Amino acid sequence: MPDTRPVEQPEDGRVGVTVDGRAVRVPKGTLVLDAATQAGVHIPVYCAHPKMDPVAVCRMCLVKLSTSPKLQPACATVVSDGMAVETRAPEVVKEQEGVLEFLLLNHPLDCPVCDRGGECDLQDFTQRYGPPTSRFPITEKVHFNKALRLSDRIELDQERCILCWRCTRYYEEITGEKELVLQQRGVHTLVATFNGQPLTSEFQGNLPEVCPVGALTHVRYRFVSRPWDLQRTASICPECSYGCNLNVDSRDFEIKRFASRDNPLVDDMWLCDRGRYSFPRWNSTDRVRRPLVREARGGVPVAVTLAGAVAAAARQLAAVREERGPGAIAVLGSPESTNEELWLLRRLAREVLGTPHLDHQLERFAGLAPAEHDLGIAETEECRAVVVLGEEPEHRAPVLRLRLFKAETKRGVRVHRLPAGTAPAQAVEAVGTGPGLVGVIADETARAGAAEIAAALAAAGATVKRLTVTRGPNGRGAKDLGVTPGLDAGYRAAAEGMSGREILEAAAAGRVGALVMLNGAALAVDGDDRDLLERALASVAVLVAVESRPGPVAQSATVLIPGHSLMEKLGTITSCEGRVQRVRAALPPATATATETGVLSMLAGALGSTGWPSDPIAVHREIVTAVPAYAQAGNGGRALFRGAPA
Amino acid sequence: MAEHRLLTEHFGMEGIQTLAGYERAGGYQGLRRALRELTPDDLVAQVKASGLRGRGGAGFPTGTKWSFLPGDVHPRYLCVNADESEPGCFKDRALIEGDPHQLIEGTLIAAYAIQAPIAFIYIRGEYFDQRLLLERCVEEARAAGYIGRGILGSDFSCDVIVHGGAGAYICGEETALLDSLEGRRGQPRLKPPFPAVKGLYGQPTVVNNVETLSNLPHIVLRGGSWYASLGTEKSKGTRLFCCSGHIERPGTYEMLLGTPIRELLEEECGGVWKGRRLKAFQPGGGSMQVLLPEHLDLPLDMEAVAQAGSALGAGAMVFMDETTCMVNVSMRLVDFYHHESCGKCSPCREGTYFESDLMHRLERGVLAPEELTTLSDICDNMNGKCFCPLGDTATWFVMSAYAAFRDEFEAHCGAGRCPVREPRAAEAVA
Ligand SMILES: Cc1cc2nc3c(=O)[nH]c(=O)nc-3n(C[C@H](O)[C@H](O)[C@H](O)COP(=O)(O)O)c2cc1C
Ligand code: SF4
Ligand code: SF4
Ligand code: FES
Repeated sequence: MPDTRPVEQPEDGRVGVTVDGRAVRVPKGTLVLDAATQAGVHIPVYCAHPKMDPVAVCRMCLVKLSTSPKLQPACATVVSDGMAVETRAPEVVKEQEGVLEFLLLNHPLDCPVCDRGGECDLQDFTQRYGPPTSRFPITEKVHFNKALRLSDRIELDQERCILCWRCTRYYEEITGEKELVLQQRGVHTLVATFNGQPLTSEFQGNLPEVCPVGALTHVRYRFVSRPWDLQRTASICPECSYGCNLNVDSRDFEIKRFASRDNPLVDDMWLCDRGRYSFPRWNSTDRVRRPLVREARGGVPVAVTLAGAVAAAARQLAAVREERGPGAIAVLGSPESTNEELWLLRRLAREVLGTPHLDHQLERFAGLAPAEHDLGIAETEECRAVVVLGEEPEHRAPVLRLRLFKAETKRGVRVHRLPAGTAPAQAVEAVGTGPGLVGVIADETARAGAAEIAAALAAAGATVKRLTVTRGPNGRGAKDLGVTPGLDAGYRAAAEGMSGREILEAAAAGRVGALVMLNGAALAVDGDDRDLLERALASVAVLVAVESRPGPVAQSATVLIPGHSLMEKLGTITSCEGRVQRVRAALPPATATATETGVLSMLAGALGSTGWPSDPIAVHREIVTAVPAYAQAGNGGRALFRGAPA
Repeated sequence: MAEHRLLTEHFGMEGIQTLAGYERAGGYQGLRRALRELTPDDLVAQVKASGLRGRGGAGFPTGTKWSFLPGDVHPRYLCVNADESEPGCFKDRALIEGDPHQLIEGTLIAAYAIQAPIAFIYIRGEYFDQRLLLERCVEEARAAGYIGRGILGSDFSCDVIVHGGAGAYICGEETALLDSLEGRRGQPRLKPPFPAVKGLYGQPTVVNNVETLSNLPHIVLRGGSWYASLGTEKSKGTRLFCCSGHIERPGTYEMLLGTPIRELLEEECGGVWKGRRLKAFQPGGGSMQVLLPEHLDLPLDMEAVAQAGSALGAGAMVFMDETTCMVNVSMRLVDFYHHESCGKCSPCREGTYFESDLMHRLERGVLAPEELTTLSDICDNMNGKCFCPLGDTATWFVMSAYAAFRDEFEAHCGAGRCPVREPRAAEAVA
């Protein structure tokens, strides 16, 4: 029996409504649709989208309200105190059938060949709310173009379109570009690009997900799979430091697509095309599969067991340490490794090999401090103004642009895009003096300028928070955990050492006796850097490499241990704003050897330091004990180093 | 009682389309009086007292609409709705051609009442000559100091801009009109916010019909209470009725509200043509429900006609004689809505298409009897569920005709032809 005792109604800006008899209290201004969701009542919608303003065009969500003689759209009607909402009243049920009949009138009903079959709102709601049969003669349907190429990424089936306006609103409200338009009118209305020009947006890959039906499709996913044949793994986008959440959808041990996974604090459900369409590179079968050992540089590679490789590595490293001292050994990680791998790599370098020459990137950045990562991504919406220095931040982390557009258009935040070299006084002039939260965003090359501008803005009265867009998916984690010269975990000062570039230069000059590389090929991607890398590889006598791809590193290694790609392992990575998020194995490993954490723990053991954890979960436990900010971050929270040593 | 000529008094007068002619007929005295003697608030009060209701279709009290504007938000805009696209309506055209400066004067009075610095006259694309005429008259009025800065020495300034539509019925709906005026696709906006609060360019806006505004010079000159003495309790003043169909003298007739419809038909229109009998008529325009000969004694009064299940709407009167096939008329009206549906919402976009398909098959006599149920069912799924009234009203005539002439609809089913217009063929089969 429902509880009917009168409840004390606090003056909390909330109103009480019932949805199909279930009472809920919601903030004033809540939409009937959201109140229903809160009451656990499902209302079917097509045009409504959680990230867009209501338009109420599809009429799928009409419900009966005690406050209105006519059925009203739940997606666009605000609740009032005492309102009774009915979603299963006979007239509502009839209207739902009616709208579905209308939507199916000119729909091609080609579900058997539609990419969306199995995850289509039109299919699902027709099953759940629709009429059992059609009364419209199939011969009378209006026909449109079924395969309109909008770009090299998106293809539109105009016949499947139900004209919900989500895609055109996506461009207007989310990206601020206006690439899709409606043409013609009435039943002849269609979605098309303006003047037939191809789409050029860097965010068009979101369109097929915004579309509730199979009208907008990924060129790279057309006729590729059925959703129920896909295996879904929740993970993080490996392309940049922004940390967009995504689902890795794979089938037959191949990734078929990356799909967005809404994290309102990070991606807000959007991915950039660079990230979304980066999946094919993880399907490469060109991999290092077996451990190899060369007794000396240029020697014949011999296939060994993992234990044999680890023993050889320990022997070679110990010999160099004996002959030339620990300073002759250098250790290189990369921002593509997980926190757990980087943590053990750091321990190996600092505790076991005893070398200060440890880095995860080539450039050296002076004065790294946690304060430069204070500003949260979602916090930009709370700022009075945000300064973005140069084009790099939005180029490196494209989804940042969407967040800034939202802050600008929906929250009234003033976004000032200033050239990287802007003088602090000019920035103050642009932003204006006075209090309020002001964000300053820069990439790593503009850190120094950003610091000066932040100081000037603070002097002018603002509360300033900075965000530095780091490199690779886990450049931030590498810094937090001390895989950087002169700084140990938690930004504690450590003995000064060489930066990545200095290590390679020293190696090329013959001044490095042994190099340990974890996923090191990822470090040097462009021409000049690759040159330097190859010269370094040619000169170093001992190269212990954990590497997943064939290439110069694998070819030169005196001990080569197969690595796992980011799609094949469990672990955490830390985004530029310090969010510690989990990556999970979406593909089976291409090698039978242990994962990187296991290998590093074995190597430490072979070098005499035993008892290391080898599985990522245990390693993570060690991290949170050693680095309190990571304990506070937990799973998915931000690591904040407030009050940490400078 | 014959026509009551208030707005049409100067129709046909020599030179009325020029400023000089209009001034000779006493023109712009209303504006002069409003600016000299009335504050904007007085003016709103006068119009409220007059009982004037909108002539664009919905009949909303004009003074009340003006008073919805939020007090301190500026600029505000006035939009004159001259999109007149309702089937059977041509009174706004008559007012523009017959007395263009009367409309401009009314526009300026309304702009003064709501303190709008700009008034836009949105005229349907097909009224091309009328647009040129209005543009010329606006220039004349501007040159004479009725439009522009400090009108007639007052501190009220107002510009008038004539804007041509591109030919879409939906652009007569006030919010679609605003979108079209702003340069977007003409499609209705979600309400609230209403135009009075957030209209053109996001500013408070009043949209009024041509005929509504043409009343204002008279109300200002002769007073709200004088106007309120004309007509019935709730339908004040006169209205122009666009009479067409099977009558001897089609045309626009200005009638005192309250006059019986029969008088309009028999005295002004000369009765049903060719001595035939009246079968049905449609007041208000293509959107409204059908009425029958028994309704001829209803007064031209908004409430009375509404009570009979139809509406005076935008002032059309389409008379149909006994040879008319109601299925055929319904089909043609449904086709109009199907053609004009803007496509924004699914019930109207798809529903009018379905309706049209059913009506065509019915008219050809190839619809199965059970599909008549489908027809009324889909009309029910549209009516009251569409985004704007266009989709709702796309069902009104056909449903009222189906109710009143059910036999005729049923006789079409499976007949293979139209049994009303091709009765011989029907007999030959029988
Ligand atoms: C589909 C549709 C078409 C309309 N067309 C016109 C029109 O052509 N002219 C007009 O004055 N009002 C038209 N209206 C009514 C307007 O929305 C609005 O109510 C009117 O212009 C207000 O003016 P009034 O208060 O002076 O009547 C239309 C309404 C709808 C729903
Ligand atoms: S293409 Fe998809 S998202 Fe765009 S209007 Fe059609 S159904 Fe909606
Ligand atoms: S009812 Fe819907 S489709 Fe029809 S005109 Fe209005 S908004 Fe457009
Ligand atoms: S979801 Fe409410 S009208 Fe489309």
